[in-house]
Amino acid sequence: MAQALSGPPRDALEWKGEGVTIAQVLSALTEFRRKFAEAQSTDDDHPHPRNCVMTLIAVAATEAEEKLAQRICTTIAVHHPSLAIVVRDQADVKPGRIDASITAPPPVQVTEATGAAAASPAHYELVTLQVRGPAATHLAGLVDPLLVSGVPTYVWWLGTPPFGSRELRDALDIADALVVDTAGFARPYHSFLGFADTSAHAHRRLGMADLQWARLAPWRESIAQFFAPVTRRPFLSGISEIGIDYAGAGRGNRIPSATLVGWMASALGWKLQRAAGGAGGIVSAQFEADGWRIVDVAFRSVVKAGLVEGEISTVRIVGTAGGTTFRLSIARAPERTRRPAPDLGPVPFQHQHSTGGEDDAGMEIAQRKAAQHREMAFQNRDSLHHTATGDPPGESAPPRPTVFVRERRRADNSLVLLTLIDIGGADTLRHVQRIESNDDASLLVELLAMGAHDAVFARSLAAGAGLMRAL
Amino acid sequence: MSTTATAAPNPLAEGLHDYRVAEPALMVIFGATGDLSGRKLLPALYNLAKQRLLPAGFAVVGAAIDDLSDDAFRKRASEKISEFSRTQPVDEAVLQSFLEGLFYIKVDFSKLDDFKALGRRLDELDHARHVGGNRVFYCATPPPTYETITEQLKAAGLNAGDGYHRIVVEKPFGNDVKSARELNRMVQRVFHEDSVFRIDHYLGKETVQNIMAFRFANSIFEPIWNCHLIDSVQITAAEEIGVENRGAYYDKAGTLRDIVQNHALQLLALTAMEPPIAFEANAVRDEKVKVLRAIRPITEEDAVKSTVRGQYTSGWVLGEHVHGYREEPNVAPGSLTETFVALRLFVDNWRWAGVPFYIRAGKRMPKRATEIRVLFNRPPHLTFGRQAAQELDPNAITLRIQPEEGISLRFGAKVPAAGIRLRSVAMDFLYASSFLVEVPEAYERLLLDCMIGDPTLFTRADEVETAWTLIDPIEAAWREGRPPLQMYPAGTWGPNAAAKLLEADGREWHRP
Repeated sequence: MAQALSGPPRDALEWKGEGVTIAQVLSALTEFRRKFAEAQSTDDDHPHPRNCVMTLIAVAATEAEEKLAQRICTTIAVHHPSLAIVVRDQADVKPGRIDASITAPPPVQVTEATGAAAASPAHYELVTLQVRGPAATHLAGLVDPLLVSGVPTYVWWLGTPPFGSRELRDALDIADALVVDTAGFARPYHSFLGFADTSAHAHRRLGMADLQWARLAPWRESIAQFFAPVTRRPFLSGISEIGIDYAGAGRGNRIPSATLVGWMASALGWKLQRAAGGAGGIVSAQFEADGWRIVDVAFRSVVKAGLVEGEISTVRIVGTAGGTTFRLSIARAPERTRRPAPDLGPVPFQHQHSTGGEDDAGMEIAQRKAAQHREMAFQNRDSLHHTATGDPPGESAPPRPTVFVRERRRADNSLVLLTLIDIGGADTLRHVQRIESNDDASLLVELLAMGAHDAVFARSLAAGAGLMRAL
Repeated sequence: MSTTATAAPNPLAEGLHDYRVAEPALMVIFGATGDLSGRKLLPALYNLAKQRLLPAGFAVVGAAIDDLSDDAFRKRASEKISEFSRTQPVDEAVLQSFLEGLFYIKVDFSKLDDFKALGRRLDELDHARHVGGNRVFYCATPPPTYETITEQLKAAGLNAGDGYHRIVVEKPFGNDVKSARELNRMVQRVFHEDSVFRIDHYLGKETVQNIMAFRFANSIFEPIWNCHLIDSVQITAAEEIGVENRGAYYDKAGTLRDIVQNHALQLLALTAMEPPIAFEANAVRDEKVKVLRAIRPITEEDAVKSTVRGQYTSGWVLGEHVHGYREEPNVAPGSLTETFVALRLFVDNWRWAGVPFYIRAGKRMPKRATEIRVLFNRPPHLTFGRQAAQELDPNAITLRIQPEEGISLRFGAKVPAAGIRLRSVAMDFLYASSFLVEVPEAYERLLLDCMIGDPTLFTRADEVETAWTLIDPIEAAWREGRPPLQMYPAGTWGPNAAAKLLEADGREWHRP
């Protein structure tokens, strides 16, 4: 049983200042720590050492993002003592000014319910900086004096980072990792490629992390588990087709699918030979495996209740090895229930295929369509992608990117995966896997717990971006 | 007989749980309706499912004497998981999904036909769930049943075939070196040693594994980890609980067999071992065995000077009045079984020559605390004078295994005031709040390791036998009444003789 913290909960310590300098914020923070240490010490006990896991800098462009960042940082800090700095970036607002606030909730009272995770003198500080004017473009100068020495500094950019800008480079100079959510990017296609470029050219110690990558974890795990038995390992060299169904129109919504394929391709050493996008959100690509074998990859857009744009609905992997055919199908189960989203408005794209039933990867349809499009695609690829999306040449952003973001962050993000396994002539194995909901706070913790230096993600991102560029 | 299959790593597993992707398997739990299964195994498996670590096809087959249907077993499992899962509240969706993979078959361990029926059930499930013949047989049963179960598995042909076949047994493995050797021989006739997973759940604790990380991943500690700078080592494994409902077992075993032979000697071995060439099963276990072999045996003559055995009488623990050991259910009224042990051991090798390792383990202590305390020598010269350093204790590193898992370093610092006055202060590392991940339960780690086929955190046959060779002479002396059993009131740190054991060496026990 966890041991209770000494003393009763105390009121939160708070400080606010308008038109302040960072030196004043730092001074207030130092005073804060002194008071906290005093509050914790007793007559015959010295103050508990201040434990800190990380500095988390959240960069918010809007008030909504600022509130979200404050909420998530607080959620994380309950169990993980840390310094969180939420920077509300308002570079375009004049005159320049910094308003700041600091909040440190009282130590967590440990109970049976909170458990051992709260057994320590968990302490965190939430600093909010509302920065107007040009100072907002010098993030490093703003937060560097506040950073906790000796622990990692993570920059979590809530919206779309200004890839390629001096502002971002400046911010990344002080960071050990940049965390983004590619599902929330405005102009997702170009922003995703910008993110991939940043990853490719980042300094060695900079980690890159993506909440969307964490959302793909259940898919990656299910696929990896299928190939885990030693007897199925040869199947990896026999994969001939991959089909992915996803929701939404526009190139931006193909990013998760492309990243997932990038993950497999980079792990298995496949080389992209050609790729094209067609009508109905269809993507057809070919990879060369083992120097001679062709792996056909097809995406298509589907309509399915409960899916948000970009979400993967089904993955199917088909192949033959040693005379044995195999087929792995992983699908979001049809019984999954989610709250309706009345504020999202009408679905803003044309659906090309209706699907239903539990095994609805639609590989046959997708492959047929893909075969029709393939030759045409490679002959006339320049013009095809915008025909496929229905958007003019150039960017094809989702019509309502802010809705896209809000939808992604709904708390009810529970997932039911139905896995169907066919090997040779044996009966189909049906496996239902219910996965607990993961909100952004838990996804963020999951990424940061790994240190955000994820070589697998880096190579998957590069391969996924390569596929996206080829379309 | 089967061996652990080896193959190139699954490239798709990289980055996922450190390559730790288990193959689908059927896990048979013998004693599935018992306490261990309900309190530990099923909740641990549920939590593995929750972490998405159980692959498609994985299933549990409960096997016990009770006459239950699959649904009745699932209902019972559901209740136990809801009560004992470390993650609360239980996720109903994950639980329901997990329960779908639970099955039950009645097995009387004495009946070969029941094992053959089990085999048929496994074959059916194997075919339906594509598990490729992989089997884990978990003996969540009293140790005397291990032999019967193992022999019946062989007689029914369940120890061989496609896939891997592993057996998991709980400590204690034998009750002396002779019985341990016999049991090892018998199990090894049926299963290859690589397929025998002897669980000492202490080794699954993150903090126990962290002993190796602390020592071998940091360059600043290893150079001082020897007899030149270390004065002594104290290992404490204290519990505030009594024998609870294990009176019948405990009265035969006692603390020496129940705690010292396994948990405490494992902690000693991890503290004293040389760096293994890799964090790999045989490399780690080779080094542990070397330490156990280097421990100077306590002869029957030494037992009086170097051992203390005690038994609790009624007293007060955590504010509640509790019965004495002899009043506990299923304990003989005149029992001489020890509920407290204190030992002084020496590791006779170059690194540890002359450094005493004190072990203290007991029930009905004031609190639950397991820790390893490494005390360093005093500075060779008191630069600041005796007066200034009178509040200064020697440097110490405390590895806290449970609770408040972490590491504490005690050192001297100047008291901020005029003049020179020194006092000991502590620098604390707290496991629970220093990482962004939750600490898993030991059984989760060990069950997953078993499914993956990694025996690093399981004890090897020679390790078990070597540990028993250290215990047997002590047991023999104690049977002769040397030293006599000492009584201690529940809620204290053992009999006075334990304090005197250290006082004789000019030392004292650390109060956890």
